[in-house]
Amino acid sequence: MSSYLPVLVLFVLAVAFGLLSLLVSITLSPKARSQAKEAPYECGIVPGREAPERFPVKFFLVAMIFIVFDIEIIFFFPWAVVFRELGGYGLAVIGIFAALVFESFVYLIGNGALEWGPRQRQRRAEIVSPDRTLTSTIRRVGAEGRPAALEPAALAPAAHHAPGHGDHGHGDHGAAA
Amino acid sequence: MAVNYVVFFICALICLLGATGVVFSRNPVHAALSLVATLFGIAVLFVQQSAHFLAAVQVIVYTGAIVVLILFVMMLLGVDQEEDIDEEPLLGVRAAGTIVATILLLGLLAVFFLQSNRSTLVTGERSVTAPLSVDASLDSTKGVAETAGPDNMATLGRLLFTRYVFAFEVTAALLTIAVVGAVVLARRPDRLQPVPDEPESMDDDFMAALESEAGH
Amino acid sequence: MSSLAAVLAQAAPGLTAGPAAAAPTPTITVPDIEWTALLPILVLGLGAVLLLTLTSLARGTVTRSGYAIYTVLVATGAMATAAPLWGRVHAWDHLGKWELSPPYGPFSAVAGAIGVDGFSVFITLLIGVAVILGALLADDYLRREGIDGPEYYVLLLLSATGGVIMAMANDLIVLFLGLETLSIAVYVLAAIHLKRVQSQEAGLKYFVLGGFSSAFFLYGVAMVYGATGSTNLVQIKDLLAVKVPTHNALLLIGLGLMLVGLGFKVAAVPFHSWSPDVYDGAPSPVAAFMASGVKAAGFAGLTRAFLLGFGQFASDWQPVLYFLAAASMLVGAIVGITQTNVKRALAYSSINHAGFMLMALQAASPKGVTGLLFYLATYTFMTVGSFGIATLAGRTGDGHHDLADYRGFSRTNPALAGLFVLFLLGQSGFPLTSGFVAKFGSIAAAVDAGSWHLAVIGMVSAAISAFIYLRIIVAMYMAESDTEAAEKAPKAARIKVPFGAGLALVACALATIGFGILPNGLNRVAGEAEPVLVKEPVPAAASGADGAGLTGLDLTTIPTTPTTR
Repeated sequence: MSSYLPVLVLFVLAVAFGLLSLLVSITLSPKARSQAKEAPYECGIVPGREAPERFPVKFFLVAMIFIVFDIEIIFFFPWAVVFRELGGYGLAVIGIFAALVFESFVYLIGNGALEWGPRQRQRRAEIVSPDRTLTSTIRRVGAEGRPAALEPAALAPAAHHAPGHGDHGHGDHGAAA
Repeated sequence: MAVNYVVFFICALICLLGATGVVFSRNPVHAALSLVATLFGIAVLFVQQSAHFLAAVQVIVYTGAIVVLILFVMMLLGVDQEEDIDEEPLLGVRAAGTIVATILLLGLLAVFFLQSNRSTLVTGERSVTAPLSVDASLDSTKGVAETAGPDNMATLGRLLFTRYVFAFEVTAALLTIAVVGAVVLARRPDRLQPVPDEPESMDDDFMAALESEAGH
Repeated sequence: MSSLAAVLAQAAPGLTAGPAAAAPTPTITVPDIEWTALLPILVLGLGAVLLLTLTSLARGTVTRSGYAIYTVLVATGAMATAAPLWGRVHAWDHLGKWELSPPYGPFSAVAGAIGVDGFSVFITLLIGVAVILGALLADDYLRREGIDGPEYYVLLLLSATGGVIMAMANDLIVLFLGLETLSIAVYVLAAIHLKRVQSQEAGLKYFVLGGFSSAFFLYGVAMVYGATGSTNLVQIKDLLAVKVPTHNALLLIGLGLMLVGLGFKVAAVPFHSWSPDVYDGAPSPVAAFMASGVKAAGFAGLTRAFLLGFGQFASDWQPVLYFLAAASMLVGAIVGITQTNVKRALAYSSINHAGFMLMALQAASPKGVTGLLFYLATYTFMTVGSFGIATLAGRTGDGHHDLADYRGFSRTNPALAGLFVLFLLGQSGFPLTSGFVAKFGSIAAAVDAGSWHLAVIGMVSAAISAFIYLRIIVAMYMAESDTEAAEKAPKAARIKVPFGAGLALVACALATIGFGILPNGLNRVAGEAEPVLVKEPVPAAASGADGAGLTGLDLTTIPTTPTTR
């Protein structure tokens, strides 16, 4: 009986927390329901289409990384139980293990895999990129939602001559097209 | 003693209800949450069998991480998409699934009922009934949990850090690969398409491009 | 019902009152870690980790070709650390100037997890060679495709680490972990060409099917564990030597499932269907590594698990291998002829080669292992050479692999075409190339083992598969006269051969000719590289390496012979 008591207590706590959260949310939140409030953008912009992709891929990456470190943690449990017996040897073994896994964390940081927001936005803001080509210019205007495969193959080689004729300016090409 | 029965039946009920929910939920998120219930029920059953480590793994890795990953995938694909369950994507999938499930059920029932002559059914020297404990002898009169005792995790720790220490360290390499792989594959190039063929001759293609441009 | 009731009726144990908690803490036998035996693994693995860390900390400071040079150095280092092991295994007291420390002879280390014998050292060296060649080929390729970075090299080294672990595995769990380390890294490598959808598709396909096959393998290991009570190959072998199970269904199911998993890795028919797609879609240097390093590791795993661990069951698994070998040789050769894509044709040819190697393995004899190792060694060079040419001929985008793209190749790139002919002839088993000696060794082993039907199938398939190679040669040399087609298809352009790839190709060519004309040296080495299962010496017991009793390895678990039942 006694061994299940902690489980039961935990279970009760978990349920209580869930219920409490719901209850607090219901009772304390201000209720002002109107059409404008229910709309996706309260500022008045009408959404053009349903957003099919809710999450960027980055979330998935974070989830993957979470699993990796989760599994690392799991191995700490058996060690923690017997670490007095194992002594320095066990510490060395788990230290090597942790260092190896932690090293991937260094890689993540070094690669900016955990960076959000600003950097991405900067890159997107570069509308006039130095390696802009004829094709990319055309695609920018009125081509949204068109699959990339539709890009005319005949225009692709134009990328090769663009550097040679840099002084022409890309706007001219766009106008010609 | 009665507690064990009660716990078992409650958990079994949770498992079954969760599993039913996974199959019958129309909303995929509800299905994923039902999976949590099933996995949690199994975790409690593991505790009951004194497999504390497995219970921890079940809760921390499966319920905690894998289901979260499943949910993330759903979010990536869009939760608002409803699948038409009545439509079979591949012909005969449902029939095949039913048959396999029936065979599995019969197999499990066979193990359950033919257990008295276990030696002929499970042919190994030591079947799954052998405990993991250090000096527990193979006493067939006792169940798994009794011989293994509550010290299961310690036994596992001892084994993991002595005999399987090499395998343990290799796991770290495996985790590193997983991280590198995830980062490499999640990195999106500017455009994902077959790389356009290299022009065999720059001049010809330049002319061709000019012509096509003029044609527009 | 009884055990369920027993479980249910179990008295709730107090958290501290269990009998085990009250018992005195058992002394932990710290396993003796034989660092020198681990050195090849450590050099490869830590080399990869170091590269990853350094490039993360100082990104963008690596000079041109820095990654490739580093990788070559690491792989060379790993091979250099494997050389003393070879000496120790063969009980040399010194290697050059260095004195070699005992124990001499094959030994097992780290609580019986890994075994060092001639076989594992040989495969280690082979995988080292595959890594070096893969790095050399990739160096210019990655820059050309605009996907340069440390990741390719890190994954290559980690994958090789997994391969070496497989080659040394004395425990099925270690074998599985090696397999996964090898495979997962290669899954990512297959998809590393992010700009090419085919590469992504190949990676996904390989990942899904490979994960499936790994599950098969793991399930098989679980079955074997259920049947024998151990995952350690030494213990399993000892147990099966003493006790002959009368009802061995569980064990046989386990063996079958393990064979599926490993058969997938070596692309044996009927587990081959992934390989043409993946070889075609994956970046060409990766395909070269898959065909050489991964295959070598897969065969190492097959040899260790089946020949060593379950040698007593040879009569059970030999017929299965017989079938796999025959099917692989025939399907690889016949379907290979119809391919119009060079990389796909090479993939089918590699299936055909896998059949030959399985034929050597199914002989289950020392001669068979020698044949297998010789085949693996020579095949590594031939296939890396072939995929190396494909790497260069694929040009930017890595998409020019149709036979039509090779038209006029001999005129525009006579040197490359000549090398390609050499590699293709070698693969077809042309006399005076290493491929001939290798095929001969494999067939001889099969004949010696009495499976001469299989040997005949092998010879027939070799004759059929020659057409695969002839088609490519014809496309390179003769198709120019076909004016209509020649005009339609773009002429193969002149290709500038980068230094690294050139070096790799020349090395492969030298090996292909050298081992063809003078095969004796390699053959002798392959003959000395015999796989052995040796028990780890028990630290406390006085008994020697071979004489320890059944419970010699048991540090903490239940005794191997169940006497109390």
